[in-house]
Amino acid sequence: MSRETVEGLPLELVSADLARGAVDLQLDEAAYPLEALYGAAYVFIDRCYVLIDRPGRADGTPGDRWRVTLAIKQATGPGADAAALRALAGEFANELLSCAWRHNITQENRAVLEQVTAQAIAGAMGPPSLDDLAKLDFTGEALEDPLGIAQSWEEKYKKKKAEK
Amino acid sequence: MGREVQEEESREVTELRFHRTVYAGTAVDEAVKRFGAFATFELREDPDHWVVRLQAPTAEREARIAGELGNYALGTTIKNRGAR
Repeated sequence: MSRETVEGLPLELVSADLARGAVDLQLDEAAYPLEALYGAAYVFIDRCYVLIDRPGRADGTPGDRWRVTLAIKQATGPGADAAALRALAGEFANELLSCAWRHNITQENRAVLEQVTAQAIAGAMGPPSLDDLAKLDFTGEALEDPLGIAQSWEEKYKKKKAEK
Repeated sequence: MGREVQEEESREVTELRFHRTVYAGTAVDEAVKRFGAFATFELREDPDHWVVRLQAPTAEREARIAGELGNYALGTTIKNRGAR
């Protein structure tokens, strides 16, 4: 397999094999989570053959990079393939960046999303029935109420014995 | 390398290596069953990969089946990952 430079892209990250009509992308695992790779790959599987691998290091330990191979489905010739491979690699990289960013936003807002969804589902279930209210447990200790807000009007303003 | 072409008794055999952290084993099995009518398959495992060797009557056909099988396994893995 001969590795060739893809115009405008560094050889250590992107290399083409014109004989096979394929391009390899080396991607840092820390920057591109697997979920983002799945997202980008799914967009491209109707346009080209996609293979994802995680090559190990020379000493046998697990690697920290993904290798994505994109192969053209219908090879037309070395010249046309070089341009097509460059476009394919560039578009895949852009899509991957977009997927990684969306994944990052989702992770950061996961707690908020879950809370809003839970509230929406609870709201859609409608108000509690009388049976539901009857089942509520009121035996627990009351909240701290230093300002007496939770006190009933009668408790708060009841006449003291001396006033009678 | 995920896909390799190996010489075996003067016949080319395509070997696909699906990394276990990326591809679900069930998805690879499903893909092999799906394309079972189009080529001869041999499955084995190594510590990190599901390994599929396939042989078809012509090299072009073999390359095409290998590509489609890889896409099918990846697509099935992605579709089913929510259920795992």
